[in-house]
Amino acid sequence: MAKAKRARSTAPPDGGWGWMIVVGCFLVTICTRAVTRCISIFFVEFQTYFTQDYAQTAWIHSIVDCMTMLCAPLGSVVSNHLSCQVGIMLGGLLASTGLILGSFATSLKHLYLTLGVVTGLGFALCYSPAIAMVGKYFSRRKALAYGIAMSGSGIGTFVLAPVVQLLIEQFSWRGALLILGGFVLNLCVCGALMRPITLKEDHTTPEQNHVCRTQTRDFKRVSPCSILTNKWVQTCLCCSLQQEYSFLLMSDFVVLAVSVLFMAYGCSPLFVYLVPYALSVGVSHQQAAFLMSILGVIDIIGNITFGWLTDRRCLKNYRYVCYLFAVGLDGLCYLCLPMLQSLPLLVPFSCTFGYFDGAYVTLIPVVTAEIVGTTSLSSALGVVYFLHAVPYLVSPPIAGWLVDATGSYTAAFLLCGFSMIFSSVLLGFARLVKKMRKTQLRFLAKESDPKLQLWTNGSVAYSVARGLDQKDEGSVAMAVPGYNPT
Amino acid sequence: MRALPGPGGPRAPAPLLLLLLCLLAAARPSWADGHPSASPVTSLPVREEMMAKYSNLPLESHNISLTEHSDVPVEKNITLQRPSNVELICQFTTSGDLNLVNVTWKKDDELLESNYMINITGSIMYTLYTVTIINSKQMGSYSCFFEEEKEQRGTFNFKVPELHGKNKPLITYVGDSTVLICKCQDCAPLNWTWYSSNGSVQRPKGSQILYIPVKELMAIRRANKKNVPLDVQMNDKYVINGTNANETRLKIMHISEEDQGSYWCHAVFQLGESEERLQLVVLSYLVPLKPFLGIIAEVVLLVAIILLCEMYTQKKKKQPDDGKEFKQMEQLKSDDSNGIENNATRHRKNESVSQ
Repeated sequence: MAKAKRARSTAPPDGGWGWMIVVGCFLVTICTRAVTRCISIFFVEFQTYFTQDYAQTAWIHSIVDCMTMLCAPLGSVVSNHLSCQVGIMLGGLLASTGLILGSFATSLKHLYLTLGVVTGLGFALCYSPAIAMVGKYFSRRKALAYGIAMSGSGIGTFVLAPVVQLLIEQFSWRGALLILGGFVLNLCVCGALMRPITLKEDHTTPEQNHVCRTQTRDFKRVSPCSILTNKWVQTCLCCSLQQEYSFLLMSDFVVLAVSVLFMAYGCSPLFVYLVPYALSVGVSHQQAAFLMSILGVIDIIGNITFGWLTDRRCLKNYRYVCYLFAVGLDGLCYLCLPMLQSLPLLVPFSCTFGYFDGAYVTLIPVVTAEIVGTTSLSSALGVVYFLHAVPYLVSPPIAGWLVDATGSYTAAFLLCGFSMIFSSVLLGFARLVKKMRKTQLRFLAKESDPKLQLWTNGSVAYSVARGLDQKDEGSVAMAVPGYNPT
Repeated sequence: MRALPGPGGPRAPAPLLLLLLCLLAAARPSWADGHPSASPVTSLPVREEMMAKYSNLPLESHNISLTEHSDVPVEKNITLQRPSNVELICQFTTSGDLNLVNVTWKKDDELLESNYMINITGSIMYTLYTVTIINSKQMGSYSCFFEEEKEQRGTFNFKVPELHGKNKPLITYVGDSTVLICKCQDCAPLNWTWYSSNGSVQRPKGSQILYIPVKELMAIRRANKKNVPLDVQMNDKYVINGTNANETRLKIMHISEEDQGSYWCHAVFQLGESEERLQLVVLSYLVPLKPFLGIIAEVVLLVAIILLCEMYTQKKKKQPDDGKEFKQMEQLKSDDSNGIENNATRHRKNESVSQ
């Protein structure tokens, strides 16, 4: 253990095996997000075979999506305590078991359980650890790496949709689910690629970490007996959980969490209601399907190009601003949507919305990493994706109810637009408040005694030198003893 | 004494005779001027009767436009499922004299005599033919002909609604069950029936009726007022029902290899019949198992290769490290005895180890 700790701490390689990790994460996104979207292709077959209507079969998709997001924290806990490789391989086995059992289903309830719960749980165990791993291997080219990794969902949907259709035609839905289960087993290959890496940052110990370690050391000294070792294990677990989830108390993270709730509420109904809205304004079926394909393709382009863009030196320090800009622009697109009543107007809307949708999806892990650092990234991403779950579940039915109650799509789209704009305004506001506090603090510090002045002069110089690390609060705290970060 | 007939006696029948003559005179013009085949006095009530009988039927109107330059005969397909009155209008535009154009209507190469009107407005000639379609005898092709230098033709084809099944064969497995669906757009057939046949494309004359349609079965049950003994094998295997009037579903259970083949769904309308063929293919479970096992083999192989690579690179890293550590341990032991001068060397070695 000591050997490993001593020999392996490095800086993020930004290349080399990192690109294999990106490939692995790309495959994970294909096998989880793209397969989830392709499950809806089976619905017509399920409706015919089990003689149920669309609403009953659509539950399968909601259950999978919900389970993937709700159990994301579980995925990060498992991968933190066992290892990323074991966690993802376990998830892959679980997901493919769910699909294989689903191919033998004799009723829709069986499908809810196997295809919905088991497969969703398997996906959850894979998704957030894989994304966190990319963050550990990259720092300079982080956004580009994430862009390539997240584009898997778009490219995967594009490629898998006709393949799944072909499988259903050749083997009927049972055979297609069986073969899809085999395909999803490739998650184990992705898991094997995720070689663990220990970074220099992992050795820096914040205060809570130190307290936790002294506590466990005390316990070790005092109680060698078995009764008290149970307590030691419990406190160890509690301590480690406390350590892992210490970021939950950071104000920055709380602001991000609230904004993610509103953003997830806003973004999901469009994929459900764009086609019905287009049909209601007089666009034909093929043109509406074309709109959805444009949305998907431009989503992929937005993922990769925005990732590359925000890695440029000029934009690197403004990733946060780029993120809230992308979310805000999507909200504005929503507000304009009720006014777009023909195909030539809906096509640019699809392009714009798709591009910025891909853009902010790429930046979510980047912004989270900036706020919590790479050690807690896995757990933080678990929490962030967990917060996606409830809005994803709740938002399309609420939008549907609004459409039925008012008789038009305007109210639903306006609500989603305002939700996304509120999310981005909240982030902008929080950043503004932070800046104002800093300038206020510097102003106050300059007015007080020369010793502190020296310190603050030092801290100003210190913070300028370490500006890229985004640890301004920490540096000011070290310089001015009485300063409270919150 | 004998009485002689006076002038009063022979004069008594004369007014009656005059009356008869008058009546004859009045009646004569109608006979002389009337059409030998249909008298307008008696024919009008019959036509009104017909119109009154069928006036509650829906009225449809269809147009075809022709010009003198139309090379290809123009056709229009009309889908009809209920008896209705149909107006067929052909319009003809030409640069020549419209009065010289000869207009005729034909049904399936049979010349039609009456029931059409001709109207000339400006440079366009309209001809209107009204037909009441009540059964399959009136269905067919109705054509309007305009004869100038060339003959221009426009055709209206009457058809019953078409049925849609699945273009591609339905795949199912031995021991599984499947549902075959046949539907038509905006239609409500009187009756649905299913037939099965193995192998052939055309429905053979003697192909087996699978099942009595549900409506008829219920009628039989009600008539007998007791449970009609159904063929148990039939009931276990086939179930026919449909959620809407415009579709029918055949559910086949406990499928075996012999169930492979063609199935026909047959719809009966008031104006005709229509049918569609569906194909069922039965596979065994081994068929999708082969690609599945292929993928599993590939996954196991890749995982093994990647883990072996990782172990190999870790061993490589460990060996030089072990070597360096051993050297470091030895130097520490020797440095301990030497003193401060060797601190510098120790620092340098630490740096090289950490890299």
